[in-house]
Amino acid sequence: MNTMRLINHSAEMMGRHKVRTGFMMIGSFIGVAALTLVVSVGIAAERKLVKLAHQMFGESSLMIIDGGGHMMGGPRNPGTRLKIDDLEAIGKQVPEIESWDAQQGLTTSVRRGDSTDIAQVLGESERSEHVWGRPAVQGAYFDDSAVKSSERVALIGQTVVNQLFGNEDPMGQEIQIGSVPFRVIGILETWGTDPHGMDRDNEIVVPISTLMRRLTNVDTITGAKLLMAPSAQEVQVVKAINTILRERHGLAANQPNDFSILTASQVQEVMTSIKKILTLYLPLVAAISLLAGGIVSSTLMVASVSERAAEIGLRRAVGARTEDIRLQFLVETTATTLAGGVAGILFGYVLAHMGAAHMHLGSVAPWGAALLGIVSSTVVGLAAGLLPAQRAARMSPVDALR
Amino acid sequence: MIELNGITKTYTRPGGEPVNALIDVSLQIDDGEFVAIVGTSGSGKSTLMNILGLLDVPSEGSYRLRGEDTAGLAAAAQAQWRNKRIGFVFQTFHLLPRTSALDNVELPLLYSDRASIRGLGRKALESVGLGDRIAHRPSELSGGQQQRVAIARALVNEPDLLLADEPTGNLDRQSANEVMAIFQALNKSGRTIVLVTHDADIASHCQRIARIERGGIVADQRVAEPKIALQDAL
Repeated sequence: MNTMRLINHSAEMMGRHKVRTGFMMIGSFIGVAALTLVVSVGIAAERKLVKLAHQMFGESSLMIIDGGGHMMGGPRNPGTRLKIDDLEAIGKQVPEIESWDAQQGLTTSVRRGDSTDIAQVLGESERSEHVWGRPAVQGAYFDDSAVKSSERVALIGQTVVNQLFGNEDPMGQEIQIGSVPFRVIGILETWGTDPHGMDRDNEIVVPISTLMRRLTNVDTITGAKLLMAPSAQEVQVVKAINTILRERHGLAANQPNDFSILTASQVQEVMTSIKKILTLYLPLVAAISLLAGGIVSSTLMVASVSERAAEIGLRRAVGARTEDIRLQFLVETTATTLAGGVAGILFGYVLAHMGAAHMHLGSVAPWGAALLGIVSSTVVGLAAGLLPAQRAARMSPVDALR
Repeated sequence: MIELNGITKTYTRPGGEPVNALIDVSLQIDDGEFVAIVGTSGSGKSTLMNILGLLDVPSEGSYRLRGEDTAGLAAAAQAQWRNKRIGFVFQTFHLLPRTSALDNVELPLLYSDRASIRGLGRKALESVGLGDRIAHRPSELSGGQQQRVAIARALVNEPDLLLADEPTGNLDRQSANEVMAIFQALNKSGRTIVLVTHDADIASHCQRIARIERGGIVADQRVAEPKIALQDAL
């Protein structure tokens, strides 16, 4: 018995039953396409999240945000109590804090001649580059004297550059933020879009003192980022900050916080649950559709076994052993499912590519998903083929030929 | 070639009552014989054919094929025998649809351990006069041509025993004649042929006629002068 010959023959047989083969292929096609889509988009989204969390938090840092309540989800109490003084006090009293930078934000119109843009304007200090970890790719950040004297200087993101300057060199040029003229002294590193869909390149960084005095006219801050010493215990630092801020804000024991502290481990927790959704639950849903496809294949194949009884009987009569019949039906089912799966991988990858481009996730790597698609459609094909193959092999040649 | 001794075959009907399809059948067929087994439907002739072809096993009695007792054969060995030593021809041809004549003829080679199968299918088709029809599908062939494809399939592994179950049952006179001419030619070249039919005229082409009734052989006699089927059709 020549097994390769039989396998070739079985694959050929599928071409002679185009309708059935087509329906069987659709099942695994859809399942594998869905699987490829969610797995490759999931991987890209996860990579993007990790990068973002790293941008926001680095190795060991905290954020303090004005207003109480929960950070992630749920309404937050509007807070207008957090000030730079609070941060200075924390910096002095908590030795584990190595550096910090307060931030005040404002969304406003930016103009240069006839070109306008609505940008997020962030007021930060001379420690901004170090604490927030976003370097200037051209020019440089302002120094402490610029902050002290509230100089009207700005670093702008790439989107702002494109909107206001096109192909011109923005360095040293003047722009109007609100109605106040600023001089461009640097261009910020490109960061792309964050998960909320915010374009992080449509940002402008100016000295916080200038922002407060010239644009917002308030002395409270939106939040601050604090860098801890690598050896610091996060829990203790958070506790110390809590005590200091509650005391400074004069909160009684029964009053809730009017600020929130976001730690790297909290973000990690959220990341873990998002990762779970991306890499476990979504693929699971896709896998269920593949399973449904497998059941369809199996059912069609079982029906085909009864329909092809005479063929099975004939094969037995001309010398096929039960194993040969079993192998034939197993190969037919698996080859079909696999072919549908391969087509599904290609289609799923195209979808993933389009989806990732739409969501600014960067490139999607197809190999992991392709391998998964091939393996899973083969496994589903083998499983779907078991029952029909068994039925075909068990068929008595005498009954089959009758 | 064939030695049947006291063969009984009992089936159990779906209702549970046993039916004797064959009762104590003994039959001996020598090498090179051309035997017709005649009987009405339900007489047990198909059951006898299935046992001869190793598709079914007797409930009682012994079947020796070329001197070997078939009772001891494993399923895989039986399949091997069917593949190499026995060729089957059926009333309804049993050709695979949407499959060329050549691919149909080569089907037994799929289950053969021959190293080289090149040219065997074409040779078999040529031997039944269909060398110019190898790429045709069954739906593109007449009934007689389809049965000749089926005969070529039975011949492709060069077996020395051919079993034909009502091979002319679905054919017109002309085609039946062609098929019988092929069988006579094959018999002349040394093949043993057992042919089941209910048609006395077809049976009269054979050298010997065994009549089967209600599961038993009731008559077994030589044909003094077998009818010669016309060869010119080929």
